[in-house]
Amino acid sequence: MTDSSLPASRIARAEAAASRRTTWGAWGLVAVLAALLIVPLAIDDAFVTHVFVTICLFAGLSTAWNIVGGYAGQLSLGHSIFYGIGGYVGVILMSHGISPWVGMFAGAAVAAVVAVVISWPCFRLHGPFFALATIAFLEVFRVLALHFRDLTGGATGLMIPLKIGWEWMVFREKWPALLIAFGMLLVCLAVAWAIRSRRLGFYLVATRERESAAKAAGVRTVRVRLMAVAASAALTAMLGTFHAMYLTFIEPAAMFSLQNSIQIAMFALIGGIGTVFGPLLGAVLLVPISELARGALGAQAIGLHGFVYGAVLMGVVLFMPNGIMGVLDRLLHPERAVKPGETEAVAARPAAATRPPIGDEVMRVEGLQKHFGGLHVTNDVGFTLREGEILGVIGPNGAGKTTVFNMISGFLKPDGGRVLLRGPDGGWQEPSSPADFASLGLGRTFQIVQPFAAMTVEENIMVGAFWRHGEVKAAREAAREVAHAMGLAPYLHSEARGLTIGGLKRLEVARVMAMQPKILLLDEVMAGINQTDVRRAIDLMKSIRDTGVSIVAIEHVMQAVMSLSDRVIVINSGRIIAQGPPQEVVRDPQVIEAYLGKEFSHAQA
Amino acid sequence: MRFAAYLTTTALVAGLAATAATADVKLGELYPFSGGLALLGEESARGLEIAVDQVNAAGGLQGEKIVLVKGDAVDNNQAIGEARRLISLEGVKAVFGTYSSSRSIAASQVAELAGVPYFELGAVADEVTGRGLQYVFRTNPTADDMAKMIVQMITDKIAPGLGVAPGDLKIGIIHEDSSYGTSVAAHQEEYGKAAGLTIVADSAYPANTVDMSSLVLDLKSRGADVVLQTSYQNDSVLFLQQANEAGYQPKAIIGGGGGYSLTPTMEAVGAELMNGVFDVDFTQYAVNTEFTPGLTEFVAAYKAKFGGEPRSGHSLNNYVGALAILQAMNAAKDFEPDTIVEAVTAIDVADGTTAAGYGIKFGKNNQNERAAMAGMQWQDGKLVTVFPDAAAVSEMIFAKPSN
Amino acid sequence: MQTFFQIVLNGLMLGGIFAIISVGLTLIFGIVKVVNFAHGEFLMVGMYATWLLTTKMGLHPYVTVAGVVPLLFLLGVLTQRFLIQPLMAARDDHVQIFATVGLSTALMNLALMVFGADIANTPAHGLRAPIEAGPVRMLTGQLWILVAAVALVIGLRAFLARTNTGRAIRAVAQNRAAAKLMGINVDAIYMLTFGIGAACVGLGSALIAPLYPTSPTIGTYFVLTAFVVVVLGGLGSITGAFAGAMVIGLLDALSGFYIGSDVREAVVFGVFLLILILRPSGLFGTRAVLAHVS
Repeated sequence: MTDSSLPASRIARAEAAASRRTTWGAWGLVAVLAALLIVPLAIDDAFVTHVFVTICLFAGLSTAWNIVGGYAGQLSLGHSIFYGIGGYVGVILMSHGISPWVGMFAGAAVAAVVAVVISWPCFRLHGPFFALATIAFLEVFRVLALHFRDLTGGATGLMIPLKIGWEWMVFREKWPALLIAFGMLLVCLAVAWAIRSRRLGFYLVATRERESAAKAAGVRTVRVRLMAVAASAALTAMLGTFHAMYLTFIEPAAMFSLQNSIQIAMFALIGGIGTVFGPLLGAVLLVPISELARGALGAQAIGLHGFVYGAVLMGVVLFMPNGIMGVLDRLLHPERAVKPGETEAVAARPAAATRPPIGDEVMRVEGLQKHFGGLHVTNDVGFTLREGEILGVIGPNGAGKTTVFNMISGFLKPDGGRVLLRGPDGGWQEPSSPADFASLGLGRTFQIVQPFAAMTVEENIMVGAFWRHGEVKAAREAAREVAHAMGLAPYLHSEARGLTIGGLKRLEVARVMAMQPKILLLDEVMAGINQTDVRRAIDLMKSIRDTGVSIVAIEHVMQAVMSLSDRVIVINSGRIIAQGPPQEVVRDPQVIEAYLGKEFSHAQA
Repeated sequence: MRFAAYLTTTALVAGLAATAATADVKLGELYPFSGGLALLGEESARGLEIAVDQVNAAGGLQGEKIVLVKGDAVDNNQAIGEARRLISLEGVKAVFGTYSSSRSIAASQVAELAGVPYFELGAVADEVTGRGLQYVFRTNPTADDMAKMIVQMITDKIAPGLGVAPGDLKIGIIHEDSSYGTSVAAHQEEYGKAAGLTIVADSAYPANTVDMSSLVLDLKSRGADVVLQTSYQNDSVLFLQQANEAGYQPKAIIGGGGGYSLTPTMEAVGAELMNGVFDVDFTQYAVNTEFTPGLTEFVAAYKAKFGGEPRSGHSLNNYVGALAILQAMNAAKDFEPDTIVEAVTAIDVADGTTAAGYGIKFGKNNQNERAAMAGMQWQDGKLVTVFPDAAAVSEMIFAKPSN
Repeated sequence: MQTFFQIVLNGLMLGGIFAIISVGLTLIFGIVKVVNFAHGEFLMVGMYATWLLTTKMGLHPYVTVAGVVPLLFLLGVLTQRFLIQPLMAARDDHVQIFATVGLSTALMNLALMVFGADIANTPAHGLRAPIEAGPVRMLTGQLWILVAAVALVIGLRAFLARTNTGRAIRAVAQNRAAAKLMGINVDAIYMLTFGIGAACVGLGSALIAPLYPTSPTIGTYFVLTAFVVVVLGGLGSITGAFAGAMVIGLLDALSGFYIGSDVREAVVFGVFLLILILRPSGLFGTRAVLAHVS
């Protein structure tokens, strides 16, 4: 089946079905939310209200946590820090006669600043190390709260003055607290949803999935994570302020509690980490169950409740690691699971009749040097690239081609030499970070494909498209256009992890193309794909070139190198040993001696 | 279970409405029954249960049988939830509790806002009754009382016993860093200074610490003669052992409650090392029963109901407080909150007439102004009351003459 | 001056305890690449086992090593086989962390159910007797722990360097896929490593039990400190863990005396954070073990 023959109607049908199921999901969500408010108001009982306030609170905390723990994939077990900060700031300000409605925002601001300050260095750490660092920060905060008694009241804690009324967030009636908790939950969900469905959310998930690929797509990975952590901390702190008013009493042990941090993360895990509404589901199910378990089991033996809790946690992790949302998702979106072997169609796009002439220089690479320990991996590499030109880079394995690529895309700092790109004003600029390179119109692919596995094909391409289009809608349209051009249209809604290697290679190029780069760095995009696809890919590259894009391609497939390249440079042992038009280079005895003979014959075979 | 109970309640609400006015009166029993505080939380609750049994056996409250409804205050949020459940769902006329101070503070705010009397029988932090709440009463002695008693014991008995002027004794205060230790230590410093004692150290440490050798060396190098420790169990054991191993022998060690009153602590440290160690806590069982009428009967009732010796003095103190309150409620004409408050405010029980020794009369902030701790000492593997004289069953001993 | 020496000695003794707990953790950390949040509970299980064997059968605590070490080895193997192994393929580390957190919670509460909240005292059999060395003193049991920690470090290093099994373990740690291609049964190596790591803490627990009262929560304090030690020493470095333990022991003792016992935790964790952020490979780690960090 080819791209053109795949009926658009089939895609439309699948999308319609998906959107029908999504509508059902939306109604389910509305029902759950409505129940959170209506059930307690209808039953009108203080205890039931309390349980629902607790549900709303934990659902809100988990939703906020999920922005960092889920979207950004940074497993924080120290979120109680922000909850505690919110509580303490709110109570301390209240004792100075400032309403918690104001204190709430003050606490949120403090928490956001603290979050940025402590997270910035920690983002170098991944997985368990980040988790350990957040635990350590939590312990430090708890000890500090105990120590600075004048401010925090020390271990004895602080009590709020029992001033009743909306102004003070303390009530005799039970419904106002529910209303506030519910409202704050809605705010958390709205923020979480807004982040997830906008560029920031795409960037966060992309960063979580493949940090380097995200950088190549122009994502300032540290900045987007800091934005996420600030938003998450601010929301957590606001809930902390509310809960302090609700408890009317705060102490370090309860406010900066590791147990609480773990519980917040656990609700998100059980509901479905990284999904917008998973944490809500987790809390809605687990809070009542844990109430029930405490009542039913707690009385019989000390520890039984905790034991069951721990056992359930292990069970969930083992048997439904994607949580409740993972289960629901399989029911609602079966089309996301793509069957391998379906992705072999490549778009055939007719090459332009006439090729525009090669233009001015757009990139200058001068005297690059790089050492890894005692190894001199790049030795005085320099070249230039012109507008609309294709430059082939060849050389035996381990020659240092990819190292050069990393240096001319900002992923690796050269020890010596520099890389200049033509800026929009026509002057030369020397960018330093991958994002800087991207902002000057440079896009790259990776030798080992780096898809954002948990995202759909469309979303993958959108991450690139966001570089040009801030709005989701525009980015989506651009992504679809590129997907069509790259023959990925049938798989738009499939998860990237299901694609074959050829599909992934095309996805890699598509994501870069969506950035509409002026310079394209392609690292072995043709390795491992079949002959037909190689020919199609050659056509594709030509058509890209004809739009005025300059291409630097590392390639082993000599057929492609020979037919595409305007010039070729040959790297061996970190130095350029030859450069020039492909036909000349192939005849260079030095090159043949170094490697080409074997490789060339191999390619011909 | 509670949800099940709740569902049953709602399902049968219409049917029950007619019969709701049966001759039962519901009271809340709010303690930490699970979680880390469960052991002594449950022990405390047993005292209340024995008091209720006794009142029921004598005809109940105003002729109505008392039914206790349990609430599990496992953490502060839970304490609030359970207080609300007891008050709104179960419709209890009063809540009794709570052992833990922070749970008590959280839950009693709920009762106060709902206008239901809340009787604290065991939590020691000042804030429980220091908030000017109208419906919250406390029968048991507080952190303040504990510190007062410790300082009094030093000036009145220990210094003379050691043959030195109180002002010449160097006092080292150490305490675990939660609310309990912190507030007792603050009062120790306050009363100590007022009594002219020389305080050379005041150090906090986390209760779950695994090493106190630095603290011991600090006390040793400051030459503290008397060490006051407010602690839980693990840290009591650790301090006593590490002090001994570092060759540090203060002239007296006075523990404040918690770990110092428990037999397993003595077993862990060894009877020999524990000999002569002082302890100020709720009234325990080796006490002059002439000063604590009803104690023997309480212990008998405890054994009959729970099949073992009381594990600590918590049950006794909860029992004494609950009994006095229940008797006052019995004498009132109905169970309206204000009636109960009026009846309870009028309580006037003299010292030496309850099973815990102290009398009951609510003063400022509804705190029982007659509540007092007892001074005890470990002697030959037993914790005996040595202070005040009226309650004492044994003379103080002064361990190894210091060298 | 005498006080200073005594504090330093106390710090070293404390370091010995941290070392014997951390060695197993770093082994698991470095090779299976899993942070075992239940490590403290392994210690707790071992201490209760020691307590049972000493009180019910009247054994000397050190004799119980013969029973406690195999028991913990088994616990480690089972944990790897039934909890960690099914999660090895998981996309992120979240699930493994939650799995061991769940195990930790379950074990702690199980102990609470079985043994109650009271402390359990293992008979000391003279191990609490002080040894006087000039002006300073230490406990017999502490000295043995330090000796055992040194022996364990030397023994483990020799095992990893000299034996075929040890080489296989190192091969797996360096490149799982390559090791698999070379015919190494990777799953078995992981189980073995987890077992050995747990057995190390088993040895530790039999030695520590006579010195500390056992309670269900005893693991929680030790485990956080052990993480600090492991990161300080460099991921997976056994000698590093030993050195890290000594540093933390000294830091703990000195800050407890000179700064204040209430903030020593903050000092230890503060240093931990600095190391983690400024030198994530640890004080003694090399770049080679950095694979886990960015």
